[in-house]
Amino acid sequence: MAKVVEKAQQEKEALISGSEAIAVACKLADVDVITAYPIRPYDTVMQYVAKLVANGELDCEYIVAESEHSQFEIVKHASAAGARVFCGSSGVGWMYAFEALTVTPALRIPMVAMVGNRALDDPGAFGVEHNDALAVRDLGWQLVWVDNAQEALDTALIAYRVAEDRRVFLPCAIACDGAFLTHSQALTKIPPQEWVDAFLPPYNRGDLLLHPDNPITVAPQVNEDWLMELRKHNDEAMKRSKNAVIPEAYRDFERIFNRSYGNPFFEEYQTEDADIVLVGMGTLSMPVKVAIRQMRKEGKKVGFVRVRWFRPFPAEDLAETLGRFGAVGVIDRDYSFGSPHFSGVLATEVRAALYPAAKRPPVVGFICGLGGREVTVPDVRRVSEMVFKAAGGETQPFITWMGIRE
Amino acid sequence: MGRLFAVEIVYRGIFQKNLAKNISRGIALAAKHDGKVGISFGRYGDSPERNGIPAKNFAIVATDDETLQEGMAKYEPKEVDISISVDDTLCKGVESWAWYGLQPINRLLKPGGTLIVTTMHGADPIITMCHRKEFPYRLALLTSIPSFSGLWVYKDDHTDVRLLGAIAKVLPDLFSLTSVEKAIREEWHDELKVKSAQKAYERISTRVVSPAEGNPEKPYEFELPKWYELREGLAIPSIPAGKAMADPTTQQTGGFRPDRNPTFKKYATRTMRPVVDFDTCVKCTLCWLQCPDSCFDVTPDAYYDANMEACCGCGVCEAVCPVTNCITMVNETAFADNASQWEMWKKDKAGYQTWLQEKIQHKPERSHGFRIRGQYEQQIGTMVKDGIVDTGTSGAGG
Amino acid sequence: MDAIETLPIQQLDAFKGVKKVPLEEYFTSGHRTCQGCESALVMKLMVKAAGPRTIVLGSTGCMYVANTTYYSTSWVVPWMHTQLGSSGSAGLGTAAALKALMRKGKMKEEPINVIAFCGDGGGADMGLSAISATLTHPQYNVLILLYDNESYANTDIQLSGMTPYGAHTTFSPPGKAKRLMHTRWKKNMAGMLAAGHPETKYVGTVCASYAVDMMNRVRKALMIGGPTFVHSLDPCPKGWDYDPMLSHELGELAVETGIWPLYEVENRVLKLYGRSKGIAEKRSKRKPVRDYLLRQGRFAHFTDDDIDYFQAKIDDMWEKWLIPGVIPFWKELEKDQPPA
Repeated sequence: MAKVVEKAQQEKEALISGSEAIAVACKLADVDVITAYPIRPYDTVMQYVAKLVANGELDCEYIVAESEHSQFEIVKHASAAGARVFCGSSGVGWMYAFEALTVTPALRIPMVAMVGNRALDDPGAFGVEHNDALAVRDLGWQLVWVDNAQEALDTALIAYRVAEDRRVFLPCAIACDGAFLTHSQALTKIPPQEWVDAFLPPYNRGDLLLHPDNPITVAPQVNEDWLMELRKHNDEAMKRSKNAVIPEAYRDFERIFNRSYGNPFFEEYQTEDADIVLVGMGTLSMPVKVAIRQMRKEGKKVGFVRVRWFRPFPAEDLAETLGRFGAVGVIDRDYSFGSPHFSGVLATEVRAALYPAAKRPPVVGFICGLGGREVTVPDVRRVSEMVFKAAGGETQPFITWMGIRE
Repeated sequence: MGRLFAVEIVYRGIFQKNLAKNISRGIALAAKHDGKVGISFGRYGDSPERNGIPAKNFAIVATDDETLQEGMAKYEPKEVDISISVDDTLCKGVESWAWYGLQPINRLLKPGGTLIVTTMHGADPIITMCHRKEFPYRLALLTSIPSFSGLWVYKDDHTDVRLLGAIAKVLPDLFSLTSVEKAIREEWHDELKVKSAQKAYERISTRVVSPAEGNPEKPYEFELPKWYELREGLAIPSIPAGKAMADPTTQQTGGFRPDRNPTFKKYATRTMRPVVDFDTCVKCTLCWLQCPDSCFDVTPDAYYDANMEACCGCGVCEAVCPVTNCITMVNETAFADNASQWEMWKKDKAGYQTWLQEKIQHKPERSHGFRIRGQYEQQIGTMVKDGIVDTGTSGAGG
Repeated sequence: MDAIETLPIQQLDAFKGVKKVPLEEYFTSGHRTCQGCESALVMKLMVKAAGPRTIVLGSTGCMYVANTTYYSTSWVVPWMHTQLGSSGSAGLGTAAALKALMRKGKMKEEPINVIAFCGDGGGADMGLSAISATLTHPQYNVLILLYDNESYANTDIQLSGMTPYGAHTTFSPPGKAKRLMHTRWKKNMAGMLAAGHPETKYVGTVCASYAVDMMNRVRKALMIGGPTFVHSLDPCPKGWDYDPMLSHELGELAVETGIWPLYEVENRVLKLYGRSKGIAEKRSKRKPVRDYLLRQGRFAHFTDDDIDYFQAKIDDMWEKWLIPGVIPFWKELEKDQPPA
């Protein structure tokens, strides 16, 4: 358990972007090895890291790799040798590293990475889509979406705490919407080092440390006699993350930093008396919240659930919460071509989570804001109108592309 | 439902890969000419194959398509009508490179099934090598020097078609000799190979092996742990460093015996093993240094003792030894145990010389892969001349 | 300017003769490689030379799949798998972790060798970019060892960028219309890396048939500091198709025919050594390549013309290259065509 700390110490406030906030978290977490490779928009974090290193504020091995594949492989091995590591990428850069991303959770490497969400090529595009980070959703990566710089900083610290917990030892990717979060500066509280030290114990790889004092062979080839048993390990680790380690980390965070995130897995906004609810991830929360406030003035009671942790997915909690409303509108900033009902990834997961629930409101899916297109307040109002109709018993399409020219 | 037949071909990886494929394909093709349907496949986990490490091919044949499905989408059948061992040293047991534990050569045989072995030996030494089975089975011997070659140059000594002829004799329900002939003509367009199959059909004979016959040892097994018993992170402990050896005669300690992988031993990989004349050894270290398998224990008196737990029988030690006849590779069938030669020598040097000279007579009879262009043609000619194989003609084929 | 800081390195002086080679094994029995596997011998000698305070990273290939089959291993020292193209990154990441942790006082400071190995496919094809990058990082002590058996031998003998001209592989079977499916010449890997990475302090070629020479090159590469590269030619009974007993002899023949030159670039100074030195200085005569090629089933389809072409290319290497056996710039341009 974390130590008791002096609350007398003060947080400092700084005007920084989401990327910079995560760079500051790396400094506070005393990360040992960081690898960089350029791609917009995530690379801003590495530009800040480079400055911290150059100015002597962060003592780490800072390696500029020759590709994303190498970037992720280098830190994977550094972590196996006992180093706390940080890495990241965006869009097709993340996909270029895909082989390394695949083996990282299998090896139980508690890497923390930032994904600056970006549309996948082709055509090349810099704007946000969530498909890059979502590509690893089945592999054992913990995936968490944040929507502001403060949350980015705090979540990075929480991510190290959760990933490096011996009960978990799974990597964690912090997904930040390109442009809206990576390139937008906001006032952010920077906690004192003592608080971080009290919250985040040193990384201890224990009997998995690759060192001459702990001679082990890691990841020998297997056949069908072994792989199911080994996959089961990761399944159990992900369950422990969801059921114990994430809630514990948020409780300790609140105690030490005096800042509460409520339910760790998702944020609820104006849901107490809402008739319908919208669900989404990342910075689309901003226009959604504005639209909700407008609609409430008109007497339309809309609430919002912003999913933070997509992996592990809080199925039971979320189903119970969503069951309180007349209908659910899920806004995906992603696509899943050919998926059930040609839906988005989040909508499909929400429907799956609701299936065994006692109360199953209708779920209406929306694809919005692809390639960084702004999700506008009128978009959200149109979304809400359809969800109200669904709540009133009027069948709505399973999926609607909102904000497309037609 | 109709009748399902299964045949396994147990072979030496790489050395006999093409041979085994020819046999299992030949079975499926001959079955076709007999009005049946069949498939041919290698045991997936044996691939990628390694030179000398045992591997398996299978032919599954059925009287109709529906029955055939019973035998499909499996790594290996649960039981077989015929096991073919294309190298007699495999009768000591089979350990594939991807599995743990030693499998008896006759493990999958059904009651009354037949084990066919290609060998220059008679039935008795072969039965002595095979583990005992709880019910009687039949043994058929195909007189032949076990056929070894490599991936690219095939030694076409007709072992493939001779085995097809033998199968037609021991299991006529599977297919007739006529169907074998048709299959050979279809696949190889070679009348000499047809003749070889016919001769093998005529010459093959079987005898019954009773449960009281054979090697009484229980082959070593390995129990697979449960998922929560495995270390997380895909990690396993390394092998401990080795330690000094003790001399059984003087109790002197010294030298070095490396610790070895406890779950994979090379008993089933060897077709031959080195015997060492310690009296002529000059302790040059080369056998020890150049052994890819670290099989040599360094004794307290600085000799190099090939540990049979670890020797795979490659022969590099004989090749690098600078002393004539100090290290000699000997046919694996000449040995009944895996005892230390050095200990034997230390205890009784005169007795060891007698033992050694007797063993050296058992030179490996099989060739051990490609050495020079034209080598296989020459060897096949010799086999025909010596009457080991009979094509019903003279001068070519086997 | 900031100095390039490196961690302390182990004192690994050359073994003075075969009797001085330590008895201990750090890669031991019970791997599942082929009979006569020269690459397994390279693993044994490599880590014997390095000693017990060593971490080994192994990229996918025979020396992964055959050596470490789950729930068993042949390694005494810590060993970890890395992806096919990741030997450079694996070595770099491990070395970087040691450096960070020791500098920051999170791990006891001591010299630990880091060796990452790769096969020819993983090293010279897929992993070339990462190896090249690693060789430009002077502050990390890491040896990349490439064991070159001249094909993707683990997956079923498919040709790699290091497969010799004309060789039979499963991706280059000789056929009726095309006798030679593979007409690319093998990459000059060590020469390329030595020439292209001027700050790398050690690049060498070795052959395990000369075991003490080979181990001493590994020791030099580990002791000199910074990133280093050793390229080993490993006869492969499976893919080359020969009697496994002949592994040692084929290694010698590769050197004696001049096909595999033994050299090292140590602190920027080039030295040919062993038999290759004699060849370069014209003290010993090269054996004809025919003696080497016709011992192997992978060249059994060669005609005399093919052998002559191969011989001519090797002759060029020793007679026309700017630095014989090492750097393939010709003193003057000449026409160079395979036989029709």
